[in-house]
Amino acid sequence: MTLAYALAAALAVSCVVLVAWPFLREPEPRLDRVRELSDLEQRQVALAEARDRSLAALKELEFDHRTGKVSDEDYRALVGPLRRQAAEALRALEPRLERTARQPHAEPATEEPSRGVE
Amino acid sequence: MPELGRAALVLCLGLSLYAAAAGAFAARTRRRRLAASAANALYASFGAAVIASLVLAAALLRHDFTFSYVAGHTSRELPVAYTLSAFWGGQEGSLLLWLLILTAYAAAACALNRRRAPDLVLWVVPVLGGVASFFSFLLVVVASPFGTQPPPLDGSGLNPALQNPYMLAHPPMLYLGYVGLTVPFAFAMGALLSRRADERWIVATRRWTLGAWAFLGVGQLLGAHWAYVEVGWGGYYAWDPVENAALMPWLAATAFLHSVMVQEKKGMLKVWNVLLVILAFGLSLFGTFLTRSGILSSIHSFTEGSIGPWFVGFIAVVTAFSLALVFVRLPLLRARTKLESPISREATFLYNNLLLVALCLTILWGVIFPILSEAVRGEASAVRGPYYNFFLRSFGLPLLLLMGIGPLIAWRRSSLRALRRTFAWPAATAVATGVILLATGAGSSLLGVVAYSFSAFVLASIVVEFALGASARSSLAGESWPVALASLVARNRRRYGGYVVHAAVVLLAVGIAGSSIYDTVREKTLRPGQTLQVGRYAVTYRNSVERRAANAQEFRALVDVRRGGQLIGRMQPGRNWYPAEQQASSEMAIRRDWTRAEDLDLIVQRFNSSDGSIELKALVKPLVNLIWLSGLLFIGGALIALWPDAREQRRLAARYADSSVAAPA
Amino acid sequence: MARKASPARLVIALSVAALLAIFLVYTAIAGGGRPVLQPGKLKGHREKVSLGGKVVGPVRSSAKSGYRFRIRDVNGTATIPVVYRDTPPPQFKVGREISVDGRVRNGVFVGDRGTLVTKCPSKYSSKPS
Repeated sequence: MTLAYALAAALAVSCVVLVAWPFLREPEPRLDRVRELSDLEQRQVALAEARDRSLAALKELEFDHRTGKVSDEDYRALVGPLRRQAAEALRALEPRLERTARQPHAEPATEEPSRGVE
Repeated sequence: MPELGRAALVLCLGLSLYAAAAGAFAARTRRRRLAASAANALYASFGAAVIASLVLAAALLRHDFTFSYVAGHTSRELPVAYTLSAFWGGQEGSLLLWLLILTAYAAAACALNRRRAPDLVLWVVPVLGGVASFFSFLLVVVASPFGTQPPPLDGSGLNPALQNPYMLAHPPMLYLGYVGLTVPFAFAMGALLSRRADERWIVATRRWTLGAWAFLGVGQLLGAHWAYVEVGWGGYYAWDPVENAALMPWLAATAFLHSVMVQEKKGMLKVWNVLLVILAFGLSLFGTFLTRSGILSSIHSFTEGSIGPWFVGFIAVVTAFSLALVFVRLPLLRARTKLESPISREATFLYNNLLLVALCLTILWGVIFPILSEAVRGEASAVRGPYYNFFLRSFGLPLLLLMGIGPLIAWRRSSLRALRRTFAWPAATAVATGVILLATGAGSSLLGVVAYSFSAFVLASIVVEFALGASARSSLAGESWPVALASLVARNRRRYGGYVVHAAVVLLAVGIAGSSIYDTVREKTLRPGQTLQVGRYAVTYRNSVERRAANAQEFRALVDVRRGGQLIGRMQPGRNWYPAEQQASSEMAIRRDWTRAEDLDLIVQRFNSSDGSIELKALVKPLVNLIWLSGLLFIGGALIALWPDAREQRRLAARYADSSVAAPA
Repeated sequence: MARKASPARLVIALSVAALLAIFLVYTAIAGGGRPVLQPGKLKGHREKVSLGGKVVGPVRSSAKSGYRFRIRDVNGTATIPVVYRDTPPPQFKVGREISVDGRVRNGVFVGDRGTLVTKCPSKYSSKPS
């Protein structure tokens, strides 16, 4: 029985230590804030998703056309707008990317100091 | 040792409450260390749950009857495996299993996503902490597995109906599924709370949802197999409320798995997806409530404990909170893209969702009908098989057809000319199947012919998809056909894994149709030497024997089976008597014919000791084994879809890395 | 890019209406469910019902008249004699809770074949079974 209590006490202590660990490790942190996604970054994520969506849709359209699921007329009708959409998405993303300094595609880029610590 | 178990549970409760409260505060005020501390509390709660589980498991293995739970659910003669399975054989233990799995999933989900999506995890921690608090609370206050008593000489034993291998697999599988649905729910709430309108939460929980859904599906198939082989009434699904309790969240999760693809491709249905994940999670809670509270008349249901009202309260709170959150964040979720054509893949996904949700809700209506009618009319009234079967057919057959149509239609829109070309071969297969069936006498049931023809359509469309895809890839990349097929699947694991799962569902449909529409049942009292004719089989009763097994007395009728005059086997249906539990069980004998995938099932309803005769019930169930085979195919397809894809991971990481707010940990 | 009026809403509305229609037609034709009652509430019910309760002995069985026993309210004293012309499932015994479909004829509840189900004895109750 005392073994049970001893083990329980040990468990409790280790849990408390684990919970307090972030405070124990950094008693005087330089920065204690979690940065929120700024509006700019949210829009960027949305644009990145839109870009991926258009690119994937184009790829799929090509594949569907090749396998005969999409007829030639449908292909002609759909591919133009999709290409435009993809181009727009890529363009919209670029200036923001320069601002936050990281290009998702393998093009060499100048790296500016990245997301700032507030 | 029970003190250690109790202490561990109290710790778990404290830690989950801390994770919920401190986590919420940290998220609100964006404090990094407090948020990390709350996440650590979640990890620690898993540790505490492990300790509590080990205490219970050890007590079970030691036959420590000072634990009331051990005394109530095991006995000394019980084989080791079943002694362990008694962990989840009762209320308190199964709640502990739920908590263990929940904290494990919670810890893993947070740990894995901590660096990739810290602002999301910020809010996911308090949500998971809240759910874990509820279950810990139940275990500490309402239903503790660590109650003690003066030890009796021997325990009450495990219900013989539960003493079979299924008891080892079925409940844990179901729980891995049920509890798994908590993770996508938490991430959805986390996304809403952190005001993110993007897909991050879906990307983060895609495999979790798929995994939970797969476990839930396999768990149900195991349950059906158990009912068929062990319970021995010749059937596998009785539309019992507890069976439906697992089916409903599975249907909602199936709908969700499809509709997220629409959000992924078109950015549509954001609100619908969040609502579906809330529905799936809510139904999983509701399901476990139904099983435990005794509120419904069911062969599975048990005497009322005080646990029911707590669950109702929690479900009410969860539903109110999540719906309020969705309402408040509605402007954020509004999408601008619209459906372009009612004949497009998006549209078929939509129809699929509507049918799945409709089926789910009609089953829900049937399940709560007795409660509602009692509340309204003062008299409980139940719906039965015919109600459920009607809607399964009305919604299930169109769903079956859609499984074949969907893959053949392109996104955005499809012209009729393109459709005519792609549908040609599958449609021809379906028609040919129908004609052959009618010609070979299956026309006794129009429903059966329709189900089989639709199934043929779907299978043909799946074959077409694989074939066209592989040949396109082979000409594109210059690969040989088998290599093209492999790389096609490897590059589109979700899609082609999904097609394999569709094939499994088709097998399931064919198995169900065959065994329920085209089955044969005969009953007769037989004296030694007499024969019963059922279908193509002639069953002759020879005599009965009695045997003694580890913890049971076995009575068996020895029976010869002939087909076309030839002796093809001997079977031994019968009954068992368990002295410790003072209970009998029916041991149905099954003869599987793999070439026809059909079963011959023999049930001894009664042994008449006066004249040595038996009351025998014989069933022939065509194609029933396809149901179990479909389970294997289902697992295969799910594994393909779940398999990590390095290329996709890189792409997703790049997509979100630009804006990631990696907090120094 | 000129955007056509989206058929989405119309399509969704029509589909939902169709599903609801199927549901309503069924419930209208097939009616509500079967009453679930215990012996105390059986009075006045002549239609098919689902009777639930505890088995009270003695249980007599014969090849001709099947199984004869009584069912009692779970939390009460009202009982009714029952005749069941089929073999009950193996878990059937005195004291167990069961459910059987049928109707009352001349003061005796006649059970339909194959509808007697026994409830699994308390697995989830907090009390020892």
